[in-house]
Amino acid sequence: MSQTTSPAIALNELCFSYPDKPHVLDHLDLHIAPGERVGLIGPNGAGKTTLFLLISGILKPTSGKILVHDKNVVSGTFNPQVTLVFQKSDDQLFCPSVWEDVAFGPRSMGLSEDQVARRVQNVLTIVGAQELAQRPVHHLSEGEKRIVAIAGALAMHPQVMIYDEPSAGLDIRTRRRLIGLLKQSDQTLLIASHDLELVLEVCTRVVLLDQGRIVADGPTKTILNDEDLMIAHGQEKPHSLIPHALPHNH
Amino acid sequence: MHIPDGILPLPVTLGGYAVSITICWLCIRSINNRQDPRADVPKAALLTSAFFVASLIHIPIPPTSAHLVLNGLLGALLGVFAFPAILIGLFLQAVMFGHGGLTTLGVNGMILGLPALAAAGVFHCRSRGIMGPPSPKRTTVFGFLAGFSGIVLSVLLFALILLTSLPAHLSAAAERSAILALGLAHMPLAVMEGLLTGLLAGFLLRVQPAILEGV
Amino acid sequence: MIAHSATDSPAAPFVHRWDPRMKLIGLLLLAFTFSFVTNPRVLPVMIALTLVVVAVSRYPLNLLLRRLRYPSLVILGLIALLPFISGFTPLVEWGGLTITREGLQAAILVATRFFCIVTLAAVLLGTTPLLRTITAMQALGLPSIMADMTLLVIRYLEVLSADLRRMRIAMRLRGHAEQRRPWRNLPTLAWLTGSLILRGYERSQGVYNAMRLRGYGHAPIRQSEFTANRKDLLALAGICALSGILIWLELAL
Repeated sequence: MSQTTSPAIALNELCFSYPDKPHVLDHLDLHIAPGERVGLIGPNGAGKTTLFLLISGILKPTSGKILVHDKNVVSGTFNPQVTLVFQKSDDQLFCPSVWEDVAFGPRSMGLSEDQVARRVQNVLTIVGAQELAQRPVHHLSEGEKRIVAIAGALAMHPQVMIYDEPSAGLDIRTRRRLIGLLKQSDQTLLIASHDLELVLEVCTRVVLLDQGRIVADGPTKTILNDEDLMIAHGQEKPHSLIPHALPHNH
Repeated sequence: MHIPDGILPLPVTLGGYAVSITICWLCIRSINNRQDPRADVPKAALLTSAFFVASLIHIPIPPTSAHLVLNGLLGALLGVFAFPAILIGLFLQAVMFGHGGLTTLGVNGMILGLPALAAAGVFHCRSRGIMGPPSPKRTTVFGFLAGFSGIVLSVLLFALILLTSLPAHLSAAAERSAILALGLAHMPLAVMEGLLTGLLAGFLLRVQPAILEGV
Repeated sequence: MIAHSATDSPAAPFVHRWDPRMKLIGLLLLAFTFSFVTNPRVLPVMIALTLVVVAVSRYPLNLLLRRLRYPSLVILGLIALLPFISGFTPLVEWGGLTITREGLQAAILVATRFFCIVTLAAVLLGTTPLLRTITAMQALGLPSIMADMTLLVIRYLEVLSADLRRMRIAMRLRGHAEQRRPWRNLPTLAWLTGSLILRGYERSQGVYNAMRLRGYGHAPIRQSEFTANRKDLLALAGICALSGILIWLELAL
């Protein structure tokens, strides 16, 4: 870590336990530089979602520190710098119409109605969903819901965006659109996914989490290529990293 | 057990609004006195949605079929949120499907809401006293009582309000027998809802006891 | 019906564009005035007034008839009884049954009031998107807890009914058949309702997290987005005058 730029996300000795489940996260140390795109992989129950809820200030650490752009994350406060795109879009889109939902964040930030309207227009254009603006949320397809959820997060102009399983349940075309959006974003990204091909395409760095500990941290290709490491933690080497020298039928 | 528009005279409909608004205001005030009044809004709203959807389930009670009313269960699970929740449900039913009524919203709110609050009281008795944390058996029994009393009280209120305010006068004897007939006709439903609420309370205690602690 | 619709365009009939706050007040005023009427001679005026509102709003008739279908069944059942069970002046005697004059009058009165109120409500509420009606109610003093709850209920109604549909299909696929005897169904029904409630409960945690992340409760109180122009106010004044006339007719005739 260079001393000139402070990290976008810094975890120091972060621990978290639920009352009925100890050591969900166990002494995590992690530094992510501004603009970095980091993939977080690991089996179900490794603690990825819990980590996200901690960084965004929904949960309170049992011990340790979380800093976002050098500021301590105080749980329970509104912190528009960090947003989280949920795995279940239906949970994230809690307003009845698309426009209202995207406008919710900017309104909470205290912007004027004019500014809110401009931001909503703007992000809907960025994600390519202008035509959905007046639609009721329950009429959207799963893919459209995910895109609108991303728009709702983007509308807050966050510096850090966290994605929990962004490609789950999407069709091929929407997944491609999502990858395009992720690649062109200039925020710091933290993406949890079982879709390793997506991680390979989007992220420059990968963190492997298992049983609440960071077991590997490094460049995407190096980690995903390490077959022994991947298998030891319930993962799989992505198909595209298997050399296709010999003719084979898949 | 909805009274439609047009049947009740003005003093009754206005009175219904006055009573319902007052009770609702008291409920909202007690919610606003909480440390974070907004914290429980999503929970109450999502449960209200679930109740709304569940009340669309038909249950066959030979020779006819009935809808679940579930106001006893709603009271048991939502506590002070029950009354506002019922008003919201009735309003949406009136606007979206034309069920119920607009001028009778207040009266219908009373008919379903007051028994829901009573059921909440009944259900919370299960954890009072010296017997320690509620056992599955006690939860089921008090669930039955909550569901049963919810319907019975609603039928009584319904019959009373309807019969005392019909435009034509009925003889006192006819009124009494009508109330009795209505009450008896709803007995199967009351027992069904009681059993259902009891079973359900037992089920929830097993899988997610936090719901039973109320909103 | 839920989101904004094309009815906001300036070409739409005035009823569609009328300030929803004024429209709500007007609707309640008229509906309560209608339920005040007991004089049979005022009923034609009431019917005429309702028809005028329907005509002016250009609300599609087939839509109106469809919306009236279910409520009609309920009310017809109720008023069909009235002529037999109440009153004392026999009108027609047929078999053992007696239709009384008072009972028949009461039935006509109730039916007219009912259809007029339900029609008005369908037309006036049906020409404003539901979400705007709720915002208007909030502007008229509905507590924000109630407004927030209402919006969330509307939003998750479809989600949870889709859940219920899926659960029932899954049950049927695994050989569950609805029994004729209700007590046999009861445990399944309890389980089904319980699962629905559980899903709502568990989802609410995620929804609350999402709301907190986007600053639920931090928004400054918004200025009402509604502005009533002179036309809006005049329309409401007109409704007030009409209510006044109805009340006067009711007392004078």
